[in-house]
Order: sequence, then structure tokens, then C-alpha cells
Amino acid sequence: MKRRGRGIACMWYPIGFTVAANPSAATVKVNEDGTATLLTGTVETGQGSLTVLGQIAAEELGIATEDVHVVSADTDVTPMDTGAIASRTTYVTGNATRLAAEKAKAILFNVAAPMLGVRPDQLEARDRKIQVKRFPQRQLPIGQVAQHALFVKGEPPIGSASFNPPTVAMDPETGQGLPFATYVYATQIAEVDVDDETGEVEVLRIVASHDCGTAINPMLVEGQIEGGISMGIGLALQEEILFDDKGRQINPNLTNYIMPTSLDMPEIEVDIVPSYDPTGPFGAKGVGEPTSVPTAAAILNAIHDAVGARVHSLPATAEKVLAAIKAARAQDGKQLPGAQRAIAGPSN
Amino acid sequence: MNDKLRVAEKELTQEMLRDPGEALRAPAVTPSVPYPIETLVPEVRQQTPAVGQRATRPDGRLHGLGQTKYIDDLAFPGMLHAKIKRAGIASALIRSIDTSAAEAMPGVMAVLTGREIPVNSFGPSLQDQPVLCDERVFHAGDGVAAVAAVTEDIALEALEKIKIQYEPLTPVLDPLEAMRDDAPKVHPPASNIYSHKIIKKGDVAQGFADSYRIFEGRFRTQMVEHVPLEPHASIGMWDSNGRLTVYSSLGRITLGRTDIARTLQLPINRVHIVATIVGGNFGGKNEITQEPVVALLAKKTGRPVKAVYSRGEEFTSSTTRHPIIMDYKTGVARDGKILARQVKLYLDGGAYCSWSETTLGKACILSPGPYNIENVEAEAFVIYTNKTVTGAMRGFGAPQVCFAYESHMDDIAKALGIDPLEIRLRNAFSEGAISPTGQVLHSVVVRESLERAAERFGWQESRS
Repeated sequence: MKRRGRGIACMWYPIGFTVAANPSAATVKVNEDGTATLLTGTVETGQGSLTVLGQIAAEELGIATEDVHVVSADTDVTPMDTGAIASRTTYVTGNATRLAAEKAKAILFNVAAPMLGVRPDQLEARDRKIQVKRFPQRQLPIGQVAQHALFVKGEPPIGSASFNPPTVAMDPETGQGLPFATYVYATQIAEVDVDDETGEVEVLRIVASHDCGTAINPMLVEGQIEGGISMGIGLALQEEILFDDKGRQINPNLTNYIMPTSLDMPEIEVDIVPSYDPTGPFGAKGVGEPTSVPTAAAILNAIHDAVGARVHSLPATAEKVLAAIKAARAQDGKQLPGAQRAIAGPSN
Repeated sequence: MNDKLRVAEKELTQEMLRDPGEALRAPAVTPSVPYPIETLVPEVRQQTPAVGQRATRPDGRLHGLGQTKYIDDLAFPGMLHAKIKRAGIASALIRSIDTSAAEAMPGVMAVLTGREIPVNSFGPSLQDQPVLCDERVFHAGDGVAAVAAVTEDIALEALEKIKIQYEPLTPVLDPLEAMRDDAPKVHPPASNIYSHKIIKKGDVAQGFADSYRIFEGRFRTQMVEHVPLEPHASIGMWDSNGRLTVYSSLGRITLGRTDIARTLQLPINRVHIVATIVGGNFGGKNEITQEPVVALLAKKTGRPVKAVYSRGEEFTSSTTRHPIIMDYKTGVARDGKILARQVKLYLDGGAYCSWSETTLGKACILSPGPYNIENVEAEAFVIYTNKTVTGAMRGFGAPQVCFAYESHMDDIAKALGIDPLEIRLRNAFSEGAISPTGQVLHSVVVRESLERAAERFGWQESRS
């Protein structure tokens, strides 16, 4: 029969490389109409990172996401970047982007200050305007300032900056050190049905509470979490590269290497934990990799809860789960006082 | 009227885009599309402040209309197609490579072997991986020769005609066996243990001595593939000034450029890498693969050369996730508080180092879990085997160790009769907690995530 179980798993995960430098650089150019171009050496690999970087540049300049065009991933055009790896784009490239936009904005403020009759540090950029802090009636459209900067003052509003997460090397004997600038945290809880006659597992529901610092774009965070969970389910239950005794792969194809499809996906409830990291761009950390970290652990704990059997190796295929159920029952049988009496019975 | 016309035009466009005919695959004759396609800018993209908005992706529309140009959608005049011959044997010495029959085939424009590659090695931390094997084969998915031909079919046929004589060696496949002194060496004379990490905090022996109970468990994980929808793809071409342009599915172009320049012995400023939108990476496209091969074949033939991995090559010849054998020993107080934890990790590194050092480091640092533990000792080894290369994959060892420490945690909870949520809350980091490497942690919300997930799930209610 089908038995229901639930399992919990929490995790921590760092942003960026382990100690090693992993810098990003970025350039932000404000155009004459107040729109902007961001140059970044990172690569869009499907996660939506360019949208997030555009949002960061827009926020710093006080303009809208739509106003920023992002140019990426051409070594002749874009500045150095360590790339789309180690969940680092939002935090590291994001910080570089924010700093670059801040520099471009400083040029605009220097130009706008005499136009508005104040000092540059009394200005802020909001809603496509440069305005006096706490006195928003005194304002100029950002496009007008940019045009003035370029054509009257001869100071093109361009900013370039780089960022590298600060770390401290680890002691080779004890491993003590600061390997990463920041970490994210998460918990996933899985609900499963296990058929105790076949060992088959069906994942019914996963609740995922993830910390990513400020969610620059909550929709993309949700997308990452859902995608990460699908990879986690594959790791937990299905996927495995198998080798023959000569070291050759047996199943290098999608017929025999089983991956989760949309039919294997459970109901997913995403929760973004409120959090703010003062070292990240607008408080953001990252979310890419951690989304698939606790899934397998939560599912395996749910299997254990459902049938009392611990599977010690991934993937928890039906065969392994059934073997674990049988082993657990054999173990339980030995420990039952009644069973012991029954075994001891004939010799009495 | 105008609106109706626009709708009709749009429908027509969509019909054309859905057409799966050959015309779509040959970019020289793509069907005409009225540009710009009517764009609807969602209100949310127009809003300030921008941070926190559910802004849509500008590339989403192109994906939806099938207009995104991946590497395989690109074509250049006179472009050739390259294929790589795979060894199919896990460990061997290469006695000879005879390419004459392949070269004689009509339609074959060039053949390339490892000896023709100026610097035949690469890798992010150890440069232990040949672009194409020249003297020795380290795993069955290794490339041993490559062909550029006018069609992909001819290139595949030519691979069959390349004759290679191997002297088979005994492969070592199990990481624990490979650690033994008498095991065959994958990269002789180097040891099979190619990196090691240790973290020590407090006094584990004392911690275990003070413990109410001690739990032990061994956990294992498997090798898995990233399976990106878009396989590894690249196109190489040269201009008359001897400058190389490579279109590539690389996720890290800056370091990719350094590696390509190094293997080809070119000044970096003569290498231009263009990455298009990548169709899935997950860590598998973080280093070069066939880029030097297409570059050299393009140089030999004077034509652009494209190469795209088959799905089989994605499995056998790209990187995969490290299988890890994980031994946990944990001493706890009566209330479930962890007093000491000892972890030993054995990572199957496959044939080359690739991103193993990063994976080793992250797995080792994260292996005690997000818990306050005074006494920790975590040690990790990564070991060469004659198997598919293991490298970067979403989480760098973290999903593996999380499976181990969280399974172990539930076993402890069950034995002590403590609720799994409760035992985690009793041990979890809080703001200012000290990590196993002695780092003071900030913006720590693991407790909040536990509480919120439990609340959302109905953890308290669902327990009968």
C-alpha cells in the first residue's frame, strides 16, 4: 500500500569562489535621453541574470528596467567577468554594476548640482529625475541632465567599476579562514507517497523557503527555485550514469538515463525569506545553485518517514527503496519481543 | 480595423515560426519576419524603483517565438562541420593513429590529432587535460582525433576510417581502490589523490568523550549529468590578419579566452570570443571543450568550422557531478545538541581535475551543516579514476553533503525521540554564528527558513 511521509532538510551555501579571486567588472553609459547601456562580461545562461543586472543599474540611476539595455558576453566589447558560475552573478557582477552606475550617476549629479543650485550630495535620482533630497519639486529629468553633461559640459556620464568578494585564505593545517564573503540559507520540506510493495516514490509537494538577500526580481527567484527542485528530484530518485566493468558508460542517452519530466514535478510552494545583506547590491545575495541543494535530502527523509527505511545512497530507485523496506522490516522483526519469543519458542 | 490587421499579421508570423521545415534551419534563407515584432512592454518594466519588480526578461519573448539564435542556428559562408573521435577505452597508451583513409574521403577537408595542438593541455586549476589525447587515453570519452567535412554525416563517416592502435592498460574505477598505494596510476607518476582539504575546530576527541550518544553513517551519491537542452557548441573562424573569432556556448568567456589563447599559443588580443545566449549551463559549460579543435580545423581549411556535441558526447565527454562517499560520525548530548562531528569525504574526481578543487573545498567547508558545533573535523580527498571527468555542477558538492548531514540528522532525531524540526532548531546557526572555518556569519536566516517552511507546510498540524 501507499504510505505517506514528510521530510525536512535545511542547508547553507556560499556565494562566489572558495577564497580564489573571482572579480567582475561593469560599465554603465547613460544616454542623452536618460536611458542607459550596461556592458557586462557575464553570460545569460537561461537564469535571467541580465534582467537582474539591468534592474540593479536602473535602481541606482533612478530609472526603469526597460530603460537599461544590457550588452553581454563578447570579449571585444564587454569588461572582464568571472562568469555565470558559483551563484555569483547577482552578488559579484551585481555589486560591480551598482558601483559602475553610481560613478555614472556622480557625473550627472555634478552637472545637475549647479543647475538646481545645490551641492551634489544633496541630490538623489528617482523616477527618471534628478531631484533635491526631501524637496522633490526641485528636479530635472535625467535625460536633460545627461544631455547637458554631454553637449554643454563635455562630460559623458559613463562609469566603470569592479568588485571582488573579500576573503581570507584558509590555514592549510586547520582550514581556518574566511573562504567566502557571504552565505545563503534555505529549508525544503517534501511530502511523498511510497508504495511499500514496489518501492516506488512519488513526490507530492515541496515547500521551499529560500534566502537570497533582497529578491531583486522575485519572479526569477521563483523560477530558479522551481528549476533547482526539478534537478534535485532527478538526483534524489532517478538520474545515474552507469559504467560497465571496463569503465565505459552504459546509459549515455535520454532513453536509459532517466530525468524528471513535467509529469514528475510535485506541487511547489515557494517562500522567499525576508533578508538583507549589507554587503550585496541593494541587500541581494544569490539563489542559483542553492535551490537544488536540500531537495534530495528532504525527499530521502520523507521516504524514511513514510516507510521507516533509510536509503544511504542516491538515487533512491524503487529497487533500493524496496530493499531498504525489507531490511528495515527484517530488523524490526528481530527486535519485536513477540517475534523473539516465537523464535525462542521451540527450544523451550 | 487596424487592430484586426495587426492580429492577423501576428498570427501569420507565428504560423511561419512554427513551420518546422528545413528553411528555418538554414539561416541564409530564413523566412522574412516583419520587424520589429509588436512588443508589449509590461507595466512592471516601466516602474521605478526597479529592484523588487517582477520584471519580465527581454529574451523571454524571443524564446517564446523561437527566435533566439543559439550556436547551432548560426551559419557562415563555406562553413564546415567537425566531429571528434572518442577513444571508447578507459585507459590505454596510443601506439599509432592512421588518418590517411579519412583524409582521402571526398568531402573531408581536414583531420586533426593531438600532436598538432600547440599546447595540448588545459584545466582551471591543474592543466592535466589534453584537448585531444596524443600519447595516452585517460577515460573512454576522451577525444583522440577530429575531422572537418562539408557535412556532419561525412565527418561522422570519416571518424570510422581513422585507425588507432591502443595498448590497453588496467583502468582504475573505484575511488577507494584508487587511493591504495598499489593501485594503477591514472596520471603516472602523480598520486591518484590529487587534492586534499582539512578543517579542524575545537577538539573532536573531547567532544565525543563528552557525548551522550555517538552516531555513525556512510552515505554515497552517484554521477549525474547536467543535461542542458543546448549541447556544447562552437564555431571557429579566422580573419586575414590572423585574428581568431570563436562563437561558443561557454558560460565564462574571459577565462575561456585565456585557455584558448594558451592552447593555441596566441596573444590574448588576437582571440575574440562571442557567447550567444546559452541554452542551459548548470556548471557544465564553465571551461573550454572543443574550441581549440574548431579553431585549428578552421586554420587548416581556411573556412569557418562548427562543432556541436551529440547527446551521447554530453554524457561521455563533458563534465559531470562528483560521486562522493561520505562518512559521518556525530556525538550528541541528551537534548540533541551536537557536541562533535567528524566527516570524511572521498570524491571521485574522474580522469581530470577540472573544477574538483573548488568542489572539494565547498563540500568540505559545508559538510558539517548549518549547525553550531564546537568540535569539528572535516577531511576531504579527491581521487583520479579512469572515468568521465567530474567538474562544476550546480552546488559544487553541496547537494551531496546536504543529503548526508540531513539524513544523519533525522537518524539522530529518531533515535533520541526528538522531532526533526525541533532538533534542527536546537542546533541551527543564528546571526553571528561561527562557521567551521572560524568565520563570523552575517545575515543568517536558517532558523527563519526552517520556521517559515514548517509553517507553510503545516508541519505541526500534519503530525498525527
